Amino acid sequence: MKSNFNPFTLEGKNFLITGAASGIGRATSIILSKLGAKLILADINQEGLVSTIKCCDSEAISLQIDLSDAASIKDKIFKAVSEFGKLHGIVHVAGKSYIAPLKSVTEEKCREVYSLNTYAAIELAKTFINRNVYAGERGSIVFISSVYGVVGSAANVAYAMSKSALHGITKSLAIELAGKNIRVNCVAPGFVKTNMMDSASSMFDSNYAETLNKLHPLGVGEPEDIAFSIAYLLSDAAKWVTGAILNVDGGFTAQ
Amino acid sequence: MEKFNANIAEILEVDKVEMDDELSSFECWDSLTILSIIALSGENYNVTLSAAEVNNAKTVGGLKELIKSKMK
Ligand SMILES: NC(=O)c1ccc[n+]([C@@H]2O[C@H](COP(=O)([O-])OP(=O)(O)OC[C@H]3O[C@@H](n4cnc5c(N)ncnc54)[C@H](O)[C@@H]3O)[C@@H](O)[C@H]2O)c1
Repeated sequence: MKSNFNPFTLEGKNFLITGAASGIGRATSIILSKLGAKLILADINQEGLVSTIKCCDSEAISLQIDLSDAASIKDKIFKAVSEFGKLHGIVHVAGKSYIAPLKSVTEEKCREVYSLNTYAAIELAKTFINRNVYAGERGSIVFISSVYGVVGSAANVAYAMSKSALHGITKSLAIELAGKNIRVNCVAPGFVKTNMMDSASSMFDSNYAETLNKLHPLGVGEPEDIAFSIAYLLSDAAKWVTGAILNVDGGFTAQ
Repeated sequence: MEKFNANIAEILEVDKVEMDDELSSFECWDSLTILSIIALSGENYNVTLSAAEVNNAKTVGGLKELIKSKMK
């Protein structure tokens, strides 16, 4: 007889996913919905959200939001949650890269990258722990950083700053929120085939694809590779995992 | 594009540039310099360039024309 044993199920849980209109955020939304979760999909790109919702197996609603406008995050999420139901977790996938050598780096661009990649993560966590949002019992927050939050690369100071900061935030919040039974973890992806990777690739010469492949012993990744690790961290199978930085990078940082 | 020449000269680490200067002839010409040019055109002119386009532009003047042609 087949048993129903599945500690990875997300049945009965509600999550908010940012960056859900494309790439890793879209793949994550689809996988989480297949695992039974109900979703609030947040992104600045409403059209992309509508396409993602069409691919989801369970109930999902869209929330159009500019996450670099920190002041609007709380109210927009409160409103969505009051209509949708309280949350068991939040995943901050939305982010942007900024490839620029040191001599071209500007404060304005650094702030732009920081406000979306980093400060929005803090504001999302702050909103999540509110009793009007957090469903209670067990919560899970997942941030997405990058191998470039772990190791160095040229022309990347602003992005590296924004992503390595997430590692500090993850560990601090893991301690601060443990008492509320909220786990906080971060996935650090290697290069994944998405629009972000395509636009980065166009900035380099034609053998860049080969260079990238060499950096990853298992080759570059698919959005689903990241989505599965997020699903694990959201599930009760990870109930004793907090403050972890999970490298999901085809071996990039093993070298 | 009045500041174009000064900006490009700064990126190419020289005091001034001429329109027919070959990009690849500058001592600091490498993939990072190309990234700086891509960043400059994105930020100052809202024009997205690829590394291949920058390389194909060949000269300082060619680069200026390329950016102009892609400005809306
Ligand atoms: N693709 C990679 O190789 C790679 C590698 C490491 C880390 N990452 C990280 O993974 C995350 C997702 O990247 P992706 O490759 O799926 O990129 P993507 O560009 O496909 O998706 C990013 C999403 O964020 C949304 N977004 C951008 N600005 C926003 C804003 N101000 N408010 C709300 N939403 C906004 C976009 O509309 C888009 O849907 C990013 O945080 C990125 O830094 C990606």
